[in-house]
Amino acid sequence: MRAEPAHPPAPGAAAGPSWRRWLLRYEVLLLLVLVVEWLLFYHFGTSVNRRGVTVGFGTLDRQFDILRHSCEIGLLALALTPVILTGGIDLSVGSLLGLCAVVFGGLTHALGLPLPVAAALTLVVGAVAGGLNAGLICQLRLPPLIVTLGTYSLFRGLAEAFTRGSVTYSDFPAGFLVLGQGRWGGLPVQAWLFLAVAVSVWIWIHRTVAGRACRVIGFAPEGARFAGIGVRGQLTAAYVAAGVIAALAALIYTSRLGQAKADAGLGYELFAITAVVLGGTSIFGGRGTVTGTLLGVAAIAVLKNGLATLPVVMRLNAAEELAGLLTGALLLAALAAGKLAERLRLSSVTG
Amino acid sequence: MSERPLLAFRRITKSFGAVRALRGVDLEVRAGEVHALLGENGAGKSTLIKVATGAHAPDSGVIELAGETLERLDPALARRRGIACIYQQPALFPELSVAENLALRLEPAAGWRRVAWAERHRVALALLARIGAEIDPGREVGTLSMPEQQLVEIASAIGAGARVVIMDEPTASLTRREQERLFGIVNALRREGVAVIYISHRLEEILALADRVTVLRDGQSVASRLRAEVDEATLIRLMVGRDVAQLYPPSESAPGAVRLALRGLCCRSAGGRPVSFEVRAGEVYGLAGLVGAGRTELARTLFGLTPADAGELWIDGERVTIGSPQAAIAHGIAYVPEDRRRHGVVLELPIEQNVSLAAWRRLFPLGWLRRDRERSEAREFVRALAIRTPDTETATANLSGGNQQKVALARWLATRPRVLLLDEPTQGVDVGAKSEIHRLVRRFAAEGMAVVLISSDLPEILGMSDRIGVMRGGELAAELPGGAGATQVMSAALGQPVEGTAA
Amino acid sequence: MNRWIREWSVVGVLALLLAYLAWRAPAFFQLQPLLSLLAREAPSLVVACGVAMVIIVRQIDISVGSQFSVCSVIAGLLAAAGWPLAAVVPVAVLIGGSLGLVNGLLVAWLGLPSIVVTLATLVALRQCLNLVRQGEFVNLPERIQWLGLSQSQGQWLLVGGAVGLVAVLAWGLRHLAAGRWLYAVGSDAEAARLAGIRPRAVTLGTFVLMGALTGIAAMMNVVQSPQVQPLTGSGLELKAIAAAVVGGVAISGGRGTVWGVLAGLLLLACISPAMVHLHIDAYWEKAIQGLIILAAVMVEGLRRRRNHAR
Repeated sequence: MRAEPAHPPAPGAAAGPSWRRWLLRYEVLLLLVLVVEWLLFYHFGTSVNRRGVTVGFGTLDRQFDILRHSCEIGLLALALTPVILTGGIDLSVGSLLGLCAVVFGGLTHALGLPLPVAAALTLVVGAVAGGLNAGLICQLRLPPLIVTLGTYSLFRGLAEAFTRGSVTYSDFPAGFLVLGQGRWGGLPVQAWLFLAVAVSVWIWIHRTVAGRACRVIGFAPEGARFAGIGVRGQLTAAYVAAGVIAALAALIYTSRLGQAKADAGLGYELFAITAVVLGGTSIFGGRGTVTGTLLGVAAIAVLKNGLATLPVVMRLNAAEELAGLLTGALLLAALAAGKLAERLRLSSVTG
Repeated sequence: MSERPLLAFRRITKSFGAVRALRGVDLEVRAGEVHALLGENGAGKSTLIKVATGAHAPDSGVIELAGETLERLDPALARRRGIACIYQQPALFPELSVAENLALRLEPAAGWRRVAWAERHRVALALLARIGAEIDPGREVGTLSMPEQQLVEIASAIGAGARVVIMDEPTASLTRREQERLFGIVNALRREGVAVIYISHRLEEILALADRVTVLRDGQSVASRLRAEVDEATLIRLMVGRDVAQLYPPSESAPGAVRLALRGLCCRSAGGRPVSFEVRAGEVYGLAGLVGAGRTELARTLFGLTPADAGELWIDGERVTIGSPQAAIAHGIAYVPEDRRRHGVVLELPIEQNVSLAAWRRLFPLGWLRRDRERSEAREFVRALAIRTPDTETATANLSGGNQQKVALARWLATRPRVLLLDEPTQGVDVGAKSEIHRLVRRFAAEGMAVVLISSDLPEILGMSDRIGVMRGGELAAELPGGAGATQVMSAALGQPVEGTAA
Repeated sequence: MNRWIREWSVVGVLALLLAYLAWRAPAFFQLQPLLSLLAREAPSLVVACGVAMVIIVRQIDISVGSQFSVCSVIAGLLAAAGWPLAAVVPVAVLIGGSLGLVNGLLVAWLGLPSIVVTLATLVALRQCLNLVRQGEFVNLPERIQWLGLSQSQGQWLLVGGAVGLVAVLAWGLRHLAAGRWLYAVGSDAEAARLAGIRPRAVTLGTFVLMGALTGIAAMMNVVQSPQVQPLTGSGLELKAIAAAVVGGVAISGGRGTVWGVLAGLLLLACISPAMVHLHIDAYWEKAIQGLIILAAVMVEGLRRRRNHAR
């Protein structure tokens, strides 16, 4: 059974001149939402920074703060985009972030490996973990939802077992902390890494045949096989890449907080999936863009951080909660709107 | 046998877009008779069944059950009124037991009542015993074989007190013994006064079982005769007896060297039998046969979807092994599959992306998408194949069937194939697009491709092929020259001796 | 026998584990700790049965954890406000049912994918609760504790109640025509429609029932502690899905039993105390749970493949 895609914005589906088509695209609508959000907060928001000075939402500091705090979830959302495009899902990325953080801490502290070596090995661990998901899903043809539910538990469990639940690795050298706390060329360092990953994934998905293959598999797994696409290879690439990106997110997380604990990234997978789906990617596969995911991440991040600057919200001390509530509502509204638009389109085709 | 018909179809018509599937079918079925329905593939049998079971509403015409006109027939109503159909692929609940599958069909749809499992078991056992099926009612349907599932369907039809039972090629997947048991069931139904509409390609079965035979051709009923009035020769003549109405483009090229050669090739693990034939460059080799004769399976083996595990394959005098579709593409084999909507094109993708899909290695050698190249390639094909579309960015789903098929063709031509396997290339395509596709196939051959044309449309095979291979039961039953007659091909496909030619 | 092989295999593994414990760590079988363990797991069991039913109709509900929290907190507040237990329980069930109704309407009537819908309600409900409560605990009156009984009496009652509920659900799923509809819809919704069943209504009903069960489970949880934490129930969805999958409920719908879920949950629940008694580092629990889930889904995959080959 294949359910109908939940999102309407098929490229080239809307009629009319190209500028109108462009305006009706989901990403553009999302961008509008984002701009409205931003303007609202810019106008009404004030905030108090760490030194007790009142800063508005619009200040550069505030924006960098948003960037720093949304990097890890943003990376996970980028990791999930190709996976969801193939019609799959990966619930294990948040747990893998925790495992990789702990592994990195263990490699540097317990084994005393030099930082670059430890970082490289951590990325390898991410790749292997992604490979485990891929193997179970492609070779044994098991449902991705349950496989990654299992590895969700497994990876977090391994992280807890390695640290015996209590060890926290801290005291990282300053050179490493720059990654998560420093600036480079005016921007937070991790923003550059995030940008690099975003561009890479964008190129992969939108500019290479491998990305096209993910999309085709999401639309029609059987049809992909009949067109001579190596379905297993492409799926494996998507899950392994998700693992590697999760490992990178773990490094940034560790550096930002200056510590590695087994509960790193707990619950991040839900935010990442929400961002991807909010960004217009169909949970059934095929449809979606990396730009949409980035906008989805930004919409959630700005909402969360912006609400914190509204005086009324500050008085209630409820920024995070309101943001979560609004995000959930936004997600449902986006889905329902997509469904209704699709029904309208169908009835105009058949009627 | 009463004289008044139990179920009657009067002047039924049904079109799908431009395709006129039924053009005025008349059929009368009496209680207690086995009425065989006969016709080539595409003659309209399956459409007629779907009209009878309420799955399709006819465009015009009347259906009468016991003298009463049935308005607005839907599947639930048809079942309530006692019309049951046993499809080749049974529509059962695979996770549930046999007894429960029967019960869900037979018991009233009230939720707050206790399920009487013992009673269900007993009813199921009794029903299965009535048709002589030895199936444990407790078994899960998903673990039953196809013929066993068919028996469950028959049991449910009988249990529902069906007055009309339609059987769509019930013996297609049965062994000899299972067939005989089925014939016993059909005879029992007849004795109980049930009208059986029996669809089969096997003439000997029809002659052994039927009381009356109706032959469909091109969506019309051409004859309805009593069993005593017909023999095999008459039936074959009635099925094919027509002039080849369409003009097929003439063969332009003289065949060149042997391009594709099969020597006992087959995929044993998928149930294939060894097949040998040769196709020359510039030649159109027609593969005829009934549905289920193994033609599509052979094409899938050639294309590496079910890789061959026995025999040899030669292309241009070079022995090759095809282990996957990727390998097939690399060796210049292209396969336009039968199921266009599921396998032939990706409906959601724009035309240009469909066209480039199989030719990535040629169009994007570095793995880097080049939209300009893709678009100009697609535009070229849109022009060359006369695909009717505003632009190449249109989603393929928005095209008509014939144009979708041309997109599927374009996808494979873009790989610059040496061997082109076409599986039912004109199925569900309107007349105009059909003859365009025929001209295109001729042109591909003239350009030097070896074309293997699988088709159930007999005139198409006869009109297009330079040589014809007839398959039956997974094997090549006969090889006929291009000028062979319809009767010869049909006889070979039905397993009758072929006049005039040595098989 | 063959039909229930998945369920029996879980029971077998559970029996092996218990036998091994009986040999190596007989201390595991002391009445009071065991009773406490069972009472602690009773709410999860009820929720897992609900989730199993949702999976049987080929949907999924990952919002149960949030539903659970909402029901718990509201029930706690009402109890603290002096409502009698007899009034609090129906209200909790009602709230759970209406939360299930929201999910059900979005899934069955709007035709939205259940995983995304329940992801959204998971986040929205959780944050809504945080917003209103600001992470505050609810202090419960003494009389609510253990339903006003002694601790062991209360625990017996809870365990007995959960087992009774499971028995009722098992009976309903097996012996009521409406229960069998769940399987029919999960197995093939189109065939079910042809057989006169309304798949949408069945799906909606299952989500509502799921919510009501969550309400009951929340009450079972509330009476066990002197306070209600607003974070109670987070992660419950994954535990419940894991118990269902380990217990032989097929994610592809149409297959599974409540008894299997019971065995699956007991197996997962026994790991942690078993590890304590066997002197295994307790921090391996989650990893072992993950391995059990993977093993269960692999067994299921192999079984399916074998059936297909036939």
